[in-house]
Amino acid sequence: MTAPAARRSAVESGHSFARRPRRRFDPSLLVIGPAVLFVLGLFVYPFVYGLALSFQPYADNELNGPLGSYMAFFGDARERLSIWNTLKLAVPATLIDVVLALPLAYRLRRPVPGQRVIAALFVIPMTLGTVLIAEGMLQFFGPAGWVNKTLLLIGVVHEPVQFLHNYLGTLISLLISDFPAVFLLLLGYASGIDPALDRAARTLGASWWQRTWRVTLPMMAPGVAVAAALSFVATFSVFPSAVLVGNPAGETRVIAFAAWQAAYEHFDYSEASAIAIVMGVIELALVAAALSLRAGGYRRLRAEAGR
Amino acid sequence: MSGTAADSPGGARREHPTPKLKSLRIRELTKWFADTAAVRGFDLEVAGGEFISLLGPSGCGKTTTLNCVAGLLEPDEGAIEIDGKDITRLAPEKRGFGMVFQNYALFPHLTIARNVGFGLEVRGIARDEIDRRTARALDLVQLGGLRSRYPGQLSGGQQQRVALARALVTEPPLILMDEPLSNLDAKLRLEMRLEIRRLHQSLGLTTLYVTHDQEEALSLSDRVVLMRDGVVEQAGTPEELYSQPRSLYVANFLGYRNLVPVQVGEIDGDVVRAATNGFRFTGTRRGALAVGGSAVATIRPKDVQVLASDPGRADTIGASIELAEFVGDGFEVSADAGSGQRFIARTVDRWSAGDRVSLRLPPERLLVFPTDR
Repeated sequence: MTAPAARRSAVESGHSFARRPRRRFDPSLLVIGPAVLFVLGLFVYPFVYGLALSFQPYADNELNGPLGSYMAFFGDARERLSIWNTLKLAVPATLIDVVLALPLAYRLRRPVPGQRVIAALFVIPMTLGTVLIAEGMLQFFGPAGWVNKTLLLIGVVHEPVQFLHNYLGTLISLLISDFPAVFLLLLGYASGIDPALDRAARTLGASWWQRTWRVTLPMMAPGVAVAAALSFVATFSVFPSAVLVGNPAGETRVIAFAAWQAAYEHFDYSEASAIAIVMGVIELALVAAALSLRAGGYRRLRAEAGR
Repeated sequence: MSGTAADSPGGARREHPTPKLKSLRIRELTKWFADTAAVRGFDLEVAGGEFISLLGPSGCGKTTTLNCVAGLLEPDEGAIEIDGKDITRLAPEKRGFGMVFQNYALFPHLTIARNVGFGLEVRGIARDEIDRRTARALDLVQLGGLRSRYPGQLSGGQQQRVALARALVTEPPLILMDEPLSNLDAKLRLEMRLEIRRLHQSLGLTTLYVTHDQEEALSLSDRVVLMRDGVVEQAGTPEELYSQPRSLYVANFLGYRNLVPVQVGEIDGDVVRAATNGFRFTGTRRGALAVGGSAVATIRPKDVQVLASDPGRADTIGASIELAEFVGDGFEVSADAGSGQRFIARTVDRWSAGDRVSLRLPPERLLVFPTDR
């Protein structure tokens, strides 16, 4: 009979498919060469160089061995405070951005009238860069700027509010510059959620509040974790706005500013590198925490996607 | 939810539980999307315990109608009443209907048990009662063993059973189903079809079912509503629609696949003589026809008889076989009658391409309709 024969040959060809092809160099792999060189030259090399530099302390710090630069940083209360100053900006900025972007992204996940305009408006700050935003803020939030004028006019305050050159100025600048990325990330995530889930929950009798807590937020959680992690990394390395609209001598003396001072005011590249490494470790720790929180929910969703 | 009725699907029509719904009335329902009416003047009355299908091709307004009944869409005109109470503007979460979606719409972050129990949880029902009723609903769809799995770990058929259990667990007066079987493969679809009908009967449900599959609609329903471009084309029992199609559109949708444009020659009561390209037909009149006007003659493939020799009768046409397809219980052949006129026929005999045959078109099975708008 032909049928069993055909089946057998199918099985055999299945076997030959299963067998690993002989490893041979594929010349088309060469196209990744430039990218590899780029990563090696512009990322790996500077990183390794900086890491090595951080363990080669200068001057007085040399007496404390390879960890001298780190000991100098952690031994100085003012330097240590820069970590706290940065966290005080990065954590609230991230939380506020996520809380503001989440409902907006969820609302705009399906086409609504004017969606493109609204989305474009939210994305513009991203294209401007922090310096331009800070420049704009100097006018807008200044003692004679529109914000203060409006607040005075409607009688919320009786004298101009000090928005600039302090903690608040830097926080506002971070909120503006960081919002688009958070919004776009969440928008991408939200538009991947099946709208039928919300409708199913409605027909099952769930109120708006119940749908939000039982369906929408749990579904959005993995996206929120990623957006928050990336937002945190971006805001933790805050530098221009801390200087331009903050108070870099005091409350907004952030860790990036401490590294800059070490490098360009004290010319201690080793301590500057050590500070940069400390920065990286803190960022990594928080990203790892956010992603491990996400992992639980994510595995389940991936199991579904795998089907 | 007694087990005995459930065990004998299609068995004696005994002691069906009393339906929770007395009547559903849809009156003059109209829904516009931009400047096109998705549904126009839709009327339907459903009695408790009925299984009604809304049938039609995509874009005919059947799903829009269902969504209006569910409350997910707000109609522009018309009213929806349940047991005499107007619910046209009531929010879907307050209607208490059960709904089954085409893509199942299970919550991927919740276990099967919690998916099924969702409607009970949001009603604030006590935990132990939720557990009891969830377990019973899962047993009903034969998925008792999967309660702690996640939807992603289930097959499509299992997911649709869970969706069914989730919609049933709150014991809704009305079940709405939006093409629940169209994502399943052919074998599962048949299985689930029986399952749905079994549950409908044994639980005394009232069901409004949307489908584009005529076979599904005919086999499941007590009544079928065939829609076209937002309006009802014909509504009636499956038997009525099948044997008494009111229009060419209905006929074509229900399996009249052979369409022959003809010119009406002579009308004698319900008997019509018509001609095209030198062929003469005698058929049964359907609708208003004018002598000399154009019309369409139509017949089901299974009613076309393929004969080896020309019996020399008036109702036969010479043709040659073009294609013969084996379809399990016979062959489906395509025969060319010349002048580009093709007929599809169902036969038990094996024919091969090139065979000269005669096609007999029995006058009582050949329907002549006015040309479709």
